[in-house]
Amino acid sequence: MSTIPLLRIEDLRTYFFSRAKQAFIRSVDGVDLEIARGETLGIVGESGSGKSVSMHSALGLVTATPGVISGRAVFHDEAPRDLLAGLDACTRLERRDGRIMSVEKDNRAWQKQVERNLAGVRGGKIAMIFQNPKAAMNPYETIGAQISEAVRLHTAIKDPVAARERALHWLEAVRIDSPRLRYDNYPHGLSGGMCQRAMVAMALAAEPRLLVADEPTTGLDATIQARIVELLEELKTRFGMTLVLISHDIGVIARLSDRIAVMYGGQVQESGPAAMLLEQSELGHPYTHALLASMPRAKNVKHGGRLPAIEGEVLDTINVPRGCRFRERCQRIHDGIRARCAGQEPELVEVTPGRRVRCWLYQA
Amino acid sequence: MTPPLLEVKGLSKHFSQRRGLLRMLSGTAAGTIPAVDDVSFTLAENETLGLVGESGCGKTTTGKAILKLMPVTAGVIRYRDRDITPLSPAEFQPLRREIQMIFQDLDAALNPKMRIESILHEAIALREPELDADDLRRRAYDLLELVNLKKNKLANFPAELSGGEKRRIGIARVLAVRPKLIVADEPTSALDVSIQAQVINLLRDLQDQFGLSYLFISHDLPLVELVSHRVAVMYLGQIVELGPAPRIAHAPRHPYTSVLWSSLAEKRSQEAVSVTAPTWGVFDFERPSAGCRFAPRCPVYAARGKPPECTDPCNAPRLREIEPGHVVACHFPREP
Repeated sequence: MSTIPLLRIEDLRTYFFSRAKQAFIRSVDGVDLEIARGETLGIVGESGSGKSVSMHSALGLVTATPGVISGRAVFHDEAPRDLLAGLDACTRLERRDGRIMSVEKDNRAWQKQVERNLAGVRGGKIAMIFQNPKAAMNPYETIGAQISEAVRLHTAIKDPVAARERALHWLEAVRIDSPRLRYDNYPHGLSGGMCQRAMVAMALAAEPRLLVADEPTTGLDATIQARIVELLEELKTRFGMTLVLISHDIGVIARLSDRIAVMYGGQVQESGPAAMLLEQSELGHPYTHALLASMPRAKNVKHGGRLPAIEGEVLDTINVPRGCRFRERCQRIHDGIRARCAGQEPELVEVTPGRRVRCWLYQA
Repeated sequence: MTPPLLEVKGLSKHFSQRRGLLRMLSGTAAGTIPAVDDVSFTLAENETLGLVGESGCGKTTTGKAILKLMPVTAGVIRYRDRDITPLSPAEFQPLRREIQMIFQDLDAALNPKMRIESILHEAIALREPELDADDLRRRAYDLLELVNLKKNKLANFPAELSGGEKRRIGIARVLAVRPKLIVADEPTSALDVSIQAQVINLLRDLQDQFGLSYLFISHDLPLVELVSHRVAVMYLGQIVELGPAPRIAHAPRHPYTSVLWSSLAEKRSQEAVSVTAPTWGVFDFERPSAGCRFAPRCPVYAARGKPPECTDPCNAPRLREIEPGHVVACHFPREP
């Protein structure tokens, strides 16, 4: 039907304030993302690249006290709704060169506004699964009780008995064997993979429009990881789920995503169709290319058994350098563009239809 | 033929469970957990042996047993043709310098209250107590150079370093005592992909430079394939297959090794999915299934209609050589 994306994030900035350093940590620094209905967007990046924080910010899961969140996150289900609306009114920002320099914030008004923005959306229309299922679930309640609670909160089913049946249906849908027995298990009584399934069931129980999976396979054994990936794949085909998948594991991202956004230093460096990014990485951002080449895979090994590593360290998001954030580790920088890379930050521009890259190499 | 640098024979480590009041009342016996059960392998000089398996399969326990960080239940560990299992801590001390470990947890391995300088000086002084302050400093600089770190890191505390830097300091400290054998327990699992490749290259360079031997413990199969000469696959405390890395990676004979490889996320092959499809029961460590321990999860066992020899308690599969240098413990190894 419509081509309006289900969720559109515009110029999102999340700054945390470090008291020790008396400076902002620019975790998310101008992120634009679009998630179309029915597609899976994979957000890949290293630790500290801002991939989790950007989605958490849009869903009001980081308060960033005493930092600041700015930008727009328009969730368009039946009518457009900005999940970050009105937050600006609670803060006074001082900007210089497009960057926020200092913040004054009314925390209580802020918190209230967040609750108002997200009422009925978070947990309902947008559900989330987290990296550590045991920490995300209530240890004092059985998984069955938690799932049927989600059913009664977020769907038209209010009757406890019907909710129980519905919860059992979801436990079965995520392929938990003998769901009737597992219904009365506590989270600590389940293995890691089983618990992750239970959390997926809880997220599905709300019948969300959008499912955000934050590192769903991290910390699980290889064989269990494969199971969870298969499960997510099945959700896509069976329910046509719109999925945002956040992971540092390029293998998982490659397997499930229709489109991929690569993050580095709090920004999207490249986004586009998954196959294009992965198979023609040399035509995209140098970071994407280097990241793929440094994976420990037999095809990447150079002579002497060495891997083409990305030298240097992951970007320090406090003292963000001027210009391109990746330039100090970039292997494709050359004298023709060096001055420009150091002087000014490149924009995210479309280089081929559907593929956007933030790099001066492509901006003559 | 020269003996291998390290020879492990029939190594077992059983943890006993405390017998509590509840257990007594419910009548369950105090169990032992066979974390490592009859493990044997050798490691030659300048060689890397990869040890892979899922969490809880006993790979780290094996590593710790070699360093004598815990007493073993049974078995012999020979280092340079000398049995080190009965040695007292004092007798083992001179050898401890030659056998070192890189620990998985970056933060737990470095004292948070010590500056990098003191951490390195302490390690250097262990091996060379006669050095004066100037020499110590020079040696510390050399070590930093070996692991590609700048000198200005010496004044920092561990918390001020990034993950990759902490890992390098951990490696530098190990190198300070000039080891021959390094047990590397998941050395890159806490690192980002781009940093992981740097550390892998570093470990390889150091091996070439000093003729080090590594026991490389990891759950990351493609990584182990890359860094190892030979790979041992562990399942529930036992080695089920051991052979040259390319053969383990591309022509595995044990069904468990195939399952491990096919569970890599990027492998889309439908065959891989169907192989791993049988029910994935939870394993009870206290009561290992009779016969082959992998049988309850084994696709071959299921496909062959559950042959009785797989669960015969008197006929557990033993490691046997099916090709030169390639051993497998399975009644029905895959055809090459």
